[in-house]
Amino acid sequence: MRWARSARWVLPMGPALFLLLAFFAGPILWTVWASLTNAALTGAQAAQTEFVGIANFERLIADTRFREATVLTVLFLVGCVFGQTVLGLTLALLMRNRHGAVRATVGAIVVGAWVVPEVVAGFVWYAFLEREGSFNAILGFFGAEPQNWLFTAPLLAVVLANIWKGTAFSMMTYSAGLSEVPDDLKEAARVDGASSFQVLVHVVLPLLRRTLATTLLLITLQTVQVFTLIFVMTSGGPGARSTTLPLLMYQEALRMGDLGYGTAIALALLVVAGLFSVVYVWMLSREEQR
Amino acid sequence: MRGTPRNTTRAVAAAALLSLVAAGCSSGADRDENTVRVAYQKFGTFIAMDSLMRKVKEEFEADNPDVTVELHAIEAQAEDYQTQVNLMNGSPSEAPDLIYQDTFTINQDADAGYLMPLDDHFDTWEDAELFSEQEAEAVTSLDGTRYGVMLGTDVRGLWYRTDLLEQAGVDTPWEPATWDEVLDAARVVQEEHGDAVVPLNVYSGTPAGEAASLQGFQMLLSGTDDGLFEESSEQWVSSSAGFTESLEFVRTIFDEGLTHDPQDALDANIATVNNEERFPGGEMAISLEGSWATQSWIEGANQPWPEWEEHMEFTRMPTRSGQGEGATSMSGGWALSMGAHATDPDLAWQVMTHTLNQENAVKFAVEGGQIPVRSDVAEDPGFLEAAPKAEQFAELVDITGFRPAYSEYPRVSLAIQEAMEVVMLGEATPEEAAELYSQELESIVGPDNVTDGS
Amino acid sequence: MSRERSTETGGRGGRTGARMVVSAPGRVAGALLTYLVLGALAVVFLVPLLWMVFASVDTEPSLRAGLPTALTLDHFTAIMTPEIVYRPIWNSVLTCGGAAVITAFCSMLAAYPLSRYNLRFRKPFLYSVLFATGLPITAIMVPVYGMFVQANLLNSLTATTLFLAASTLPFGIWLTKNFIDGIPIALEEAAWVDGASAWQSLRYLVAPLLAPGLAVVGIFTLVTTWGNFFVPFILLTSPEKMPAAVRVFTFFGQYGSVRYGELAAYSLLYTVPVVVLYMVVSRAMGGRFALGGAMKG
Repeated sequence: MRWARSARWVLPMGPALFLLLAFFAGPILWTVWASLTNAALTGAQAAQTEFVGIANFERLIADTRFREATVLTVLFLVGCVFGQTVLGLTLALLMRNRHGAVRATVGAIVVGAWVVPEVVAGFVWYAFLEREGSFNAILGFFGAEPQNWLFTAPLLAVVLANIWKGTAFSMMTYSAGLSEVPDDLKEAARVDGASSFQVLVHVVLPLLRRTLATTLLLITLQTVQVFTLIFVMTSGGPGARSTTLPLLMYQEALRMGDLGYGTAIALALLVVAGLFSVVYVWMLSREEQR
Repeated sequence: MRGTPRNTTRAVAAAALLSLVAAGCSSGADRDENTVRVAYQKFGTFIAMDSLMRKVKEEFEADNPDVTVELHAIEAQAEDYQTQVNLMNGSPSEAPDLIYQDTFTINQDADAGYLMPLDDHFDTWEDAELFSEQEAEAVTSLDGTRYGVMLGTDVRGLWYRTDLLEQAGVDTPWEPATWDEVLDAARVVQEEHGDAVVPLNVYSGTPAGEAASLQGFQMLLSGTDDGLFEESSEQWVSSSAGFTESLEFVRTIFDEGLTHDPQDALDANIATVNNEERFPGGEMAISLEGSWATQSWIEGANQPWPEWEEHMEFTRMPTRSGQGEGATSMSGGWALSMGAHATDPDLAWQVMTHTLNQENAVKFAVEGGQIPVRSDVAEDPGFLEAAPKAEQFAELVDITGFRPAYSEYPRVSLAIQEAMEVVMLGEATPEEAAELYSQELESIVGPDNVTDGS
Repeated sequence: MSRERSTETGGRGGRTGARMVVSAPGRVAGALLTYLVLGALAVVFLVPLLWMVFASVDTEPSLRAGLPTALTLDHFTAIMTPEIVYRPIWNSVLTCGGAAVITAFCSMLAAYPLSRYNLRFRKPFLYSVLFATGLPITAIMVPVYGMFVQANLLNSLTATTLFLAASTLPFGIWLTKNFIDGIPIALEEAAWVDGASAWQSLRYLVAPLLAPGLAVVGIFTLVTTWGNFFVPFILLTSPEKMPAAVRVFTFFGQYGSVRYGELAAYSLLYTVPVVVLYMVVSRAMGGRFALGGAMKG
């Protein structure tokens, strides 16, 4: 009755396994294969795709655009992760033990930004930062010259927009983490004469270490693949000043029709994200064994 | 054993249902024989093709009640339109039967096996003899096979607002003989009108896409002594004097503020805003633009401008110092082609010829601001009345140039746009940008296919 | 930051005053400052959204958010056509709603044995699932296109829905497993003794308790897929199958710098359903969205 014993998990897990294998594992294997070919959307290579070995990767290493996009991706990542973490943590800390109505209102607004569809987030930030937009109106109040921030500071613009959209996620995870910090520990520290700030640094944050680490990793993994927001706001421009790796992949694979090369970029992205992901899994597994 | 038969049956049913769903979602494996799918672009001021295809659909379906003409209006600018069509072409079951396509992409799509040879159909068509030689050239691949029928062609030159030039003291009709005279006119307009008016528009940079490459850069380059591609050796030209001179022109207009602010120039919608707002509003004096600009102003446009004929004139773009013919132009044009996997090629051909017949060709030529490629359209009184500049355009057809229609061209074109962009942003001098272009060119076409032009 | 500084001074004041925890005036000032900072942050988060709301009803909309000079519904009526709004939104409902239901259902089925049975491959499987949550969907879209072409799935709403479901499934399974872990097993054990099948105990005992958790999974799937532009853009080709994410983008691409009012109105129409749904579910769950709690693994 061995098969029947397996059936009790194979059957319920079947649909999920099918979906994951067909639509997740399949494409990833396909990525590896396609990155070793000269597959193209049109032209002779579309009719006869050939195996080209590591030619795409050689090109990748020599490509200044790839290097620039990698640097921009890292800057985008650092900016977003830092901003989201600081803002999310600040909000979570400030909202603790506050009046319910205040919590609900502020929380709803911040979460609202998270729920807004990415395309729309792109529009509203485009409108906000454009030369005619509200941001310049606010700055103009203080006497600053209006400028198109999408043009003069494209990377900063997309970083701000992404922080705006992503902070809710950090806020929710930190709030949940904070709610688990026992009150008596803090009280004990206070009784010993510690200031609120000291309590935060020496008692609360260390206990939050685990939440912090996993949230940081999750944000990193979400941020590295941001495409739509940047695509809508700047489409990677001006020049290539906000072309991160997903944008470069789109340009090469679809706009230029070079599927093989574009997939090689995608694979590079997958590998980097995969490494982060491994660290994430490793950290959680250590926690579990504790 | 906990897995009772009932439990198992239910789970099996669930799994089976799911795989059934998966199997059932293949969308168009067996296509309806009587459906002709047409993919075309509809974007910004260009609504002429949409209007034409809607008319064709109505007429054709009325004449053939069992046939459906399925319209795929793709709302994207030229490059993204191309991408979308390529994505469709990549899948035989989703590929369109008829494709509205830029003639310069015919070679690469034919190489990819996406297109159906049309020689046999075309040769037996009674209207075939009405089409010009230029038409045949544009839709014939390098190996001599016809892959499409052209809808119309175009030329490029300088559109200008007479009132703004006159106020600045420039005599009209304005006929500049050199680049310097163009720049001088822009300078006096700048002095007269200041920030209220953009003196001269030259499409530049990647957001404008092919417009920057063709209306902008190649309209300049073709007025120098150099070209993009050397026909005799079949090699691409790198780092020529003409290339740098053309970029120099771009730098001059941006440096001196004779054109848009760079941030406006890098707006992907610049062409729409130029022709729907800036020209009609008197906010732009001169624009290096296609002959089709009238499509934004005529009756039936998004923002009709009935008075355009009183304000707008067209003049030839001079060569750099008046060399050669004294003026230059570039031409492109779009065609209808047939997908290699067309379900019923004969039926698709019927729809195609209906779309291209005299009456419809006149409609498209007027609404799309096109130069007709059918002789009976070029002479049609209705067309001549509706297209007051037709004669001027026709003169340019004799001196006009074409893009090198090789598979690599789209990549080369992007490299040109990037070179323009670094110059307009002041990130590089024209010489440096030309050098960047040369490197990029070599990596695109291979060092063996590049010549320095000497 | 200001909060930390303020509490710090408050604390110092407390220390100089005879071993009080925090002096009363310090606490009040601290609280006031906290509210001020919270209020300021809320405004900062709200301002970009204001443009969308105001411009959509302004007779003379611009890119600048400002109280409308005169109110109008013209922008809405201009775009409320089957072609521009109704069908795309319906397509979004079909694909994203479908993905949400499929993800929630498959997650429940898959998570149950992972939580309840002592399977040999449980750990490696869970870690693979966790690993998969980190992989960027954007990066695999080009290969997915190639695969869809080969399998003849391009331009299929069903296949696109399944793909969207698969892309959120790893996270869904992980969340659901944590939720089921939190449900005491005692009840089920009693039921098993009484001869109930695993399916029956899942259906009648676990599912009702799991409902809020599944709602979280569903909402999460809906929110992430509702705004996803890239997936349908690549996998669908017919205009009549395009969801709102793509449609609103083409609208922006064409008229974005011209017709602000209509763009804002469209954005609003497209945003409202998912915001409302989110609010309904989080209210139903007692005002607290349990995502954060389930997140930390």
